[in-house]
This record gives sequence, C-alpha cells and structure tokens, in this order.
Amino acid sequence: MTGVFPFIVRRLLAAIPVVLLVTIATFWLGRCAPGDPITARTGGKASPETVARLKHQLHLDDNVAVQYVRYMSEVVHGDFGTSQRHVNQSVSSIIFPKMWISLQENIYPFILTFTIGMPIGIYLAMRRGHWQDPSVTALLLILSAIPVVILIPTLQVLFAAKWKLLPVAGWHGIFSRYIILPTAVLTVPGLAGVARLMRISMIQVMDDDFVRTARAKGLQERIVVLRHMVRNAMLPMATAIVSSLFFLFIGSFFVESLFGIPGIGAESIATINGRDYDEIMAITIISTVAFIVANMAVDIAYTFIDPRIRLDAG
Amino acid sequence: MSNKLLAGLAGAVGVLVIGIIVLAVAIVASSGGSSSSAKSASKQNTSSGTPSAASSSSANSAKAPSSNVKGGELRVPGDDPLTLDPALAFDTTSAEYIVEIFGGLVQLDKSLKVIPDIAKDLPTISADGKAYTFKLRDDVVFQNSNRRVTAQDFKYSMERAASPDTGSSTADQYLGDIVGAKDMIRGKATSISGIKVIDDQTLEIDIDQPKPYFLSKLTFPTAYVVDKSQIDADKRNWTRHPNGTGPFKLKEWKIGESVTLTANDRYHLGVPQIGQITYDLAGGSSLTQYENGEIDISGVGINDIERIRDKNEPLNKEYVSKPSLTTFYIGFNTKQAPFDDPKVRRAFAEAIDKQQLVDVILKDVVPAANGILPPGMPGFNKDVKGIPFDANDAKQLLQQSKYQGKLPAITFTTSGQGANVGPVDEAILQMWKDNLGVTVEVQQVETATFFSDVKKGAYMMWDAGWAADYPDPENFLDLNFYSQSNGNDVKYSNPQVDNLLVQARTEQDQTKRYQEYQQAEQMILDDAAWAPLFYEQDNLLVKPYVKGYDVPGMIIPIYRYVSIQK
Repeated sequence: MTGVFPFIVRRLLAAIPVVLLVTIATFWLGRCAPGDPITARTGGKASPETVARLKHQLHLDDNVAVQYVRYMSEVVHGDFGTSQRHVNQSVSSIIFPKMWISLQENIYPFILTFTIGMPIGIYLAMRRGHWQDPSVTALLLILSAIPVVILIPTLQVLFAAKWKLLPVAGWHGIFSRYIILPTAVLTVPGLAGVARLMRISMIQVMDDDFVRTARAKGLQERIVVLRHMVRNAMLPMATAIVSSLFFLFIGSFFVESLFGIPGIGAESIATINGRDYDEIMAITIISTVAFIVANMAVDIAYTFIDPRIRLDAG
Repeated sequence: MSNKLLAGLAGAVGVLVIGIIVLAVAIVASSGGSSSSAKSASKQNTSSGTPSAASSSSANSAKAPSSNVKGGELRVPGDDPLTLDPALAFDTTSAEYIVEIFGGLVQLDKSLKVIPDIAKDLPTISADGKAYTFKLRDDVVFQNSNRRVTAQDFKYSMERAASPDTGSSTADQYLGDIVGAKDMIRGKATSISGIKVIDDQTLEIDIDQPKPYFLSKLTFPTAYVVDKSQIDADKRNWTRHPNGTGPFKLKEWKIGESVTLTANDRYHLGVPQIGQITYDLAGGSSLTQYENGEIDISGVGINDIERIRDKNEPLNKEYVSKPSLTTFYIGFNTKQAPFDDPKVRRAFAEAIDKQQLVDVILKDVVPAANGILPPGMPGFNKDVKGIPFDANDAKQLLQQSKYQGKLPAITFTTSGQGANVGPVDEAILQMWKDNLGVTVEVQQVETATFFSDVKKGAYMMWDAGWAADYPDPENFLDLNFYSQSNGNDVKYSNPQVDNLLVQARTEQDQTKRYQEYQQAEQMILDDAAWAPLFYEQDNLLVKPYVKGYDVPGMIIPIYRYVSIQK
C-alpha cells in the first residue's frame, strides 16, 4: 500500500486550481447575469433607492474581484455567507438541512439500483445469445428513456389519483409512504445503466483464460461466476458505486419539484433564479469538491479491488 | 451454463424483490391511513425510531381532523416562510405566519378595518394630524417570556427595523413617514426622533405630514413588536423560535414539511378557539389532499374550477370565492413612442376584449377589471368609467394619433421562465393583431431582471399585477401614478392628477378623500396609463365544520376568528 497518503496530498494540491477556476467562473458569471438578489427578493415593491442602499450595505457594489476574495476568505473560515433569498439567514443553515433531505431521498434508490441492477446484469451476461438478453435490455432501456417529467405525473395520476394507493407528493422522511414513488422514479433510470455495465463487464471476462482455467479445474459453475467472473467484473462497477456515493446529497430538480421534496435540487434552481450569490457559490463549491473527492476515491478503490493497479503509476 | 446458477440468481433476485415489498408494506402499514393524525404520529415515531408503533391508527380517521388537541386542529396548505422576522418580511408567504405569531399597535379585522391590537384604543391624533398618541394595554406579554410589552419595546422594534444593520427592504415604505425615520434608514441617525416614549404605557409617533393612511401602514409586520432580549441573545437564529405577541405561537417548523402553530392561551384579544394550526408545506395538489380529507382549506385552480362550480358537484357547497386586493394590468411607458400618445394607449386598451379573456381563457376564476382600485379596497368605485372593448373606436384612435396608424415596432415584455408565453398574453397579442392590425413582438424576461428594468423604463409595455400592501387607495394611486413617486413605472405625469393625489394624502374628511381618489382614478383611466385586465380572486374550498373563515382578501390574523364545529 505504498503511497496512498502522498497520492491524496498530490491530488488535493492538483485540485486547488480546479476549485479556483470553477469558483471564479461561477462568481463572475453570476455577477454578469442581469438582475441582483435585492431586486429579485423584493419584486417590484422596493424603490430603486432602497435597492441601491441595501446593495451598498451588503457591499454588492464593490469591485467583483474584491467581492470574490472576500467571499472566498469567508469560505476558508468555514462560513458560506448569507442568503439574500432567505432574507439574512446563513447559507449553511439553509443548504445543509436540504442536502440532508436530498441524501435521505437518494439512499433507497442508491441501494436498490445496485442491488437490483447488478444481479440483472449478471443474469443478462449469462443469457447472452438467448432471447432474455435483448428483451430485458430493451425493456430496461425503454424504462430509463422515459423522461422523469413524464414518468412522475403518470405515476402520480395512476398511483395517487386513480388507485389512491399512495400520496401524490410531499416529504415526511424516509419512513413514510411518501418516499415510495420518488424512490421508484429515482431507481428505474439507473437500473438500466447498472445492469448494462455489469453485463458488459461480465462478458469481457467471460472468455478470459483464468475463467477457462477455473472451469477446467472442475470448479462449480456458481463458484466460477461469483468468485472469478464477478470479482473481476467489479472494477468498473466499483467506480460507479464509489462515485455515486459522493453525489447522494445532490438532489434531482425535477423529482424534488414534482414531489414537493424540500431538497437541494429544487433549492439550487430557485437560488439561481433568485440571484442568491452566496448560496449559488456555496452549492457550486460543495459540488466541485465532491466531484474531485469522488474521483480520488475511485482511484483509491481500484487498488483494493485490483492489486495490479498502483496509485503512483501514472 | 448451468441451470443451477440461474436458479440461484433468480432466487437471489426473488428474495430481494420480496424483501423490498415487505419493507414497502411495513412502511405503508406503519403510517396507517392518510389522515393527519396518522401522518403526525408516524412523524413522531420516525424521530423516536419506532415506526411500527403507529400501525394501530385507523384509516377512518382520514375523514376528520385529530381531536386530541383542545379546540381542534386546523390543517391548511402552506409554503416555507422565507423569514419570520417581521422587520425583514416583504412577501405574503412570510407575512401569513408573522401576522399570527406577532402583533403590533394595530391590526386589520376581517372587513379590513384598522382595529387596536396592543394599543388600548385607536390613537388620539393631534389637531394638526401629525402626532399619534397610543395608549398601550397593560395585559400584553411576550408569549414565551412572560414579559409585559411596553412603549419602549415598540420604540426598539421600529428602530431595529429602520437600522441599516437589519437590512429591511420595507422600512422605507412603512416607517418612512415617521419624523426622523428616513435619517435612520440612511444611516444618518441612530434613533428615530419621531418615536417618543412618554411612559411605559404611552407612545407618541410623529409623522411628517397629516396622512390619514399612516395608521394602516402600522398593520404591516415592519411595525410589529419584537422581543429585544431574545434578539440580543441570538441575533442570527432567533426567528427559529420567535417570541411574539400574536394569537398563535410557533410550535414547530420542519423545513419543507410542516409549520405548526398552537394557540396563545394568553392572547389579549381573546384566546383562539382552535388549538392548533398545521400548515402542510408538502406542495403537490392541495385539492387532492382536500378531497382525501388531509387538509381543511384548499385553493381551487383554473383546471378544477368548472367542476367545483357545477351545482351537482358535492364540493360545490364548500366553495367560497372572494376578491383579493390585486389588479392585473398592462402598463404603458408613457414617455416612450408610441405610447407617449394617450390615443395610442387607449387604442391598445380598447382593443382588448377583457370579458372574453376572462370568460374563455381564465374560465371566470377572476372578474374583469374595470378600474384600477380592486373591489374590497376602501374607495373602490363600482361606477368608474373603465376602458370599454371597442375595436372600431380603437382603430380610429390609432389613425387619429400623432402616428396616424404608422407605429414603430412594438415590443411587449412579460416576466417568467420557460419558452411559452402564457395563454392570457397570447390571447391579448392575438386581439391586437385582429382588432388593430398590429403585430406585437413579445419578449420574456426573468423576474429578477424584469422588475429592475421596469423601474428603469426599459420596456415599452408589459404586464404585471399590483397587490395592496395596506387597504388604502393611496397605496394604488399615489404610489403608481404620482409623477414624483418611485413606483411610477409608467412614468405617468398629469398635474391635475398630481394635485388631487397630494390633496387626498392629507384630506381629513374620509368621504371627500375617497372622492378625490376616485376622480384621480377616472383621469388616469381616461389617459389609459394602465389597461386594467382583471382583479385577483380567491377561490377556495372550506370544510363545512370550519367556521368563521371569511376569506379576507389581504393577509390578516384570520385564524383567531376560526373555530371547528362538528
């Protein structure tokens, strides 16, 4: 296990310019967009003089570079600033509870996508060349191709309005029936992806020498598949699992809007429309860092699954 | 390929699927029916980690609100408030909660009359109309701290609202009439000289001019009383557990889920009859929730209005419809060609068949607007001579205008997102094309940009709505049409109208004052500075056991009048 720690340090150092670039671009683009948080939050009701005065008090009329440095130094000190849309509440007090909600909303789909998708993928690989493979694949693809904006209202009409089995929308935590429809909607599209990834990985190792050797040794087919094929086919799957871990707390805009889930996905869009500069920045920074960490974690995970891969190699 | 393996895999998948179904069933069972009692029970159990304990609640309770709360529980749909700080609230969503939790010197009653709240009576006003003296009640305490509210608290609260540190966007409009308030808002003073504490129970407020509408401004949250010791102790997060003086207390606020208010059993204007209000913030279709018995009051949207209005529909008996004080209009930039000519403005206004718009597109959820002041507003004139639909006259006016029918390219601006212009705007554009032969370009602008551009005079014409901030015609006419007003987005300027508006500001005879506003309104209509389209209307369903909920048309502390009787 040489070099996990230096590897992390090196990757983190390399990440700094990325974070800087992303934040500068977001900050600058945000200020370029017409409108401002004060006008957005007061609608047509505040006089231009009041708007100008409040902007001055919040230092929104300073040079953009000065504002950027000020904001980033706040972030370094652990403060993500003040939300204007949520009148003077701290950004942290708004976004962290909402990310927690998005995390809860994503946890069942995350588990279900992999626990259902992987066996399906293995099954499909085993049935390659038979009618089950193309037909199940086609079915999964059709399901994942349905846009959520169509899928969600359809499910709501059927399950809630027509059959009255489940509530239409709402958020009451993950131990309530309100979570069932969103879970279904968030699970189905991922299923096809996971199953296909698993299928193709299995097929790639299926004809490899070591599989043939294992069979030749007279091992049970179950052992061959589970111990030799699946383990080797897991490499790309591990990438998918580990990287999705870090996006659990990023909510889906459509799912959250249409199911009335007060998560970070719906909030992100509202915050952009509200020109809530600090909150936009906070969400951008957190997502960027999550992305970087996810990639790093994937690289580290590789070494555990496949000892042939070394972190310092490339 | 061995069949054993396939069987094994199929078995694994099968076990998984069954496991999921079992889990789902357990979840469904644990939350019982869709009643609120079951919902709240499962919520409580969720937090204590024993979701199965609630499985006994029966689905029958779905039809009735839980009765374990004294006085009963009222369940209404709602949205997350942006803030519960009265000094910062500017939006109706926040105000809806704030008026129930907090209070001020005066408040609005159900008929939108100003009545005393923490003040003992309406104030005595000096002969020159500029000094308001309030005597405070001696039995008003902050909900959670037992401390009595004094005149000092009001001085503190209003100065806090005006302080630049607070960053209120409403202080200017609602407190700006008080002597010295503008100085404090602009950071030139550290207190408001016009607010004087005479003694614990007596407060004097001096205003710059004798403005009869000043009192109604004090009904807005900006002037409400807040607890200094609470704010000093927790400047940033005190609104999460506010200590107000209103008829209800905040019990719990779960972001995106629910807001729960409980009756303030020491409320000085009479303890509310209902024990608890639960706002369901879940979103989704509140009508479906209403029909399922999950909530007691629901709005009716345009897609359901025909069904609800059908006399054979059982829900029809629960349908209530009342105007709310908002006027939707098309604004013309009166300083920009071609709408600098009143004839062109009038032509465009006359070419709109408002009745058809309302009947066909809006399915009569709202009434067509004749005048500028909406019904329900004091001074509303039902005999105002509005701008009629007259396609022929419109065409002639266009010919008679200084442009003689040769108009420059015209752009209509509307706010909003998405690629589609709303059906109302589309219909209006079509009417202009059909009735005037003018093709108007449309541009859609994001809300954040729209309002600042309107103020800058960047648009030729646009559509918007104006909702009353307080029930006085000054809030509509003076604010939007006085030539020097900040809110005069149409850049309208008519010396005669200005004279009337200035006179009405300080006119002490109420009848005469409303007459002056009505005259001004008529002249503004004749000049077609706005083309009024329709008034807002609240269309609601209210369960028959909910008594006393008269749709007020404005944000007022309404739930203290409501009771549940079955």
